[in-house]
Amino acid sequence: MIRELGVIETILRNRLFFFHEIRDGIDLQRKLRAMLISSLTFFALYGAVMGSTHSLWQALSSAVKLPVLFIATLFITAPTLYFFNVLFGSNQSLLQNVALIMTAVTVTAVILLSFAPITLFFLLTTSQYQFFKLLNVGIFAVAGSMGIMFLIQGMRIVSNVGTEGERNRRWVVRLWMFLYAFVGSQLAWTIRPFIGAPSIPFELFRQLGGNFYTNIIASIGEILGFFIVQ
Amino acid sequence: MKQNDPSKIDQLLDLLLDALQERQAARGRPFAAIETPPEPENPVTEAPPTIPAEPEAAQNETLEAVLAEPELPEKLPSIQLDRMIGRLALVILALIVLVNIPYNRYGTNLARAMPDAQALVIRDGLVLKGSGEEIYVLENNHKRWISSLDAFTYYGYRWEQVNLVDDDFLAQFPSGPALSILYKCPTSPHVFAIENGVKRWIKDIPTFVEQGYVWDDVQIVSCAAIERLPSGLPIPPDAGEPPSP
Repeated sequence: MIRELGVIETILRNRLFFFHEIRDGIDLQRKLRAMLISSLTFFALYGAVMGSTHSLWQALSSAVKLPVLFIATLFITAPTLYFFNVLFGSNQSLLQNVALIMTAVTVTAVILLSFAPITLFFLLTTSQYQFFKLLNVGIFAVAGSMGIMFLIQGMRIVSNVGTEGERNRRWVVRLWMFLYAFVGSQLAWTIRPFIGAPSIPFELFRQLGGNFYTNIIASIGEILGFFIVQ
Repeated sequence: MKQNDPSKIDQLLDLLLDALQERQAARGRPFAAIETPPEPENPVTEAPPTIPAEPEAAQNETLEAVLAEPELPEKLPSIQLDRMIGRLALVILALIVLVNIPYNRYGTNLARAMPDAQALVIRDGLVLKGSGEEIYVLENNHKRWISSLDAFTYYGYRWEQVNLVDDDFLAQFPSGPALSILYKCPTSPHVFAIENGVKRWIKDIPTFVEQGYVWDDVQIVSCAAIERLPSGLPIPPDAGEPPSP
């Protein structure tokens, strides 16, 4: 396990080498395995931290659901990025695309892990559900942004610089990031709860209804004292 | 580089190619871009050309490749980040276990030790109790009084679901119909709601539905058992004289 974590250091400290190796197709499968194991572990830990606010069952449930959320989003959205890149002249393989996205996912997972002590601190010192929910939305936004920065950098290095369609491929990546965030947030809403409202008994999945964005706005409204979330 | 009369561009290209070859050789992998182009099928035998064998297009591609390749910085030495992350993960795992261990016989643990009064999420099915004895359940923004302990258990509520709230908080919700046990005797069409040990006749089906009941909630009991219960006001109160069960 520790051996697999070595990939984190390479990504964080020697990212140019890492992206060049992806571009050259060096050890792709080993890299993917290491990134998958690392990110699944970190997501599971962070999920357990989030779910601990509610119950042990919720902690276990979130520890499974959070890795599923990220990996499922990856599988849903990766083909779109790959085929649009091919359409605009990329010669990357699907595996190279997945490796790049997994790099972003792994960075997100590491950042989330680094935020876990802060989340635990607020878990122990506050009981306001809406605040805790928004705190986590903020943490996910920061971690996701860092991952996306890595993806953009990686794409720039891995794709053929100067070849035809490079400008279009950059736009593809930018638009794809919105798609990724949109699919991810909708999937997160579908398989919620991750934190679990204190006044509601444990439930593996909650009934569908509403959407992620209106809920976040409502939570902000409640924290500011405008209304109570129904 | 062994040309008799090379042009300046050729010299520049050769220099760049040499540098590139050295770098690729240092990386330990072959350099595909400078492979000698295949021999033409019908080579010209007389007077071999004095210029390099590479075609001009290939030279341009190579130049582009050389110019596009940014120089990689020195690889940074390891700071044992993997071990540090591994330890952080173990510490967080230990903390997760720690905050989930109950520390008293009621199952309270550190993660949920804080009072949760602020954390109430208003929703259907939320069970509330003010300073009085009455317990209410929220439904469609109305509070419904649970009229008996039997009704409380029959509808599947548990004591740990009851949230103690201020009376002011309860007062913001208008009252809805009470939530009661429903009795019906096998030989009679009449349904009675049992509230605090008193039977109340429900006038008709529209009233029954209006009260939020469903037929699955009606329990069939003996007529004698219903007759033994004291009669209260019918539902609605102006429904007239209650019939015999």
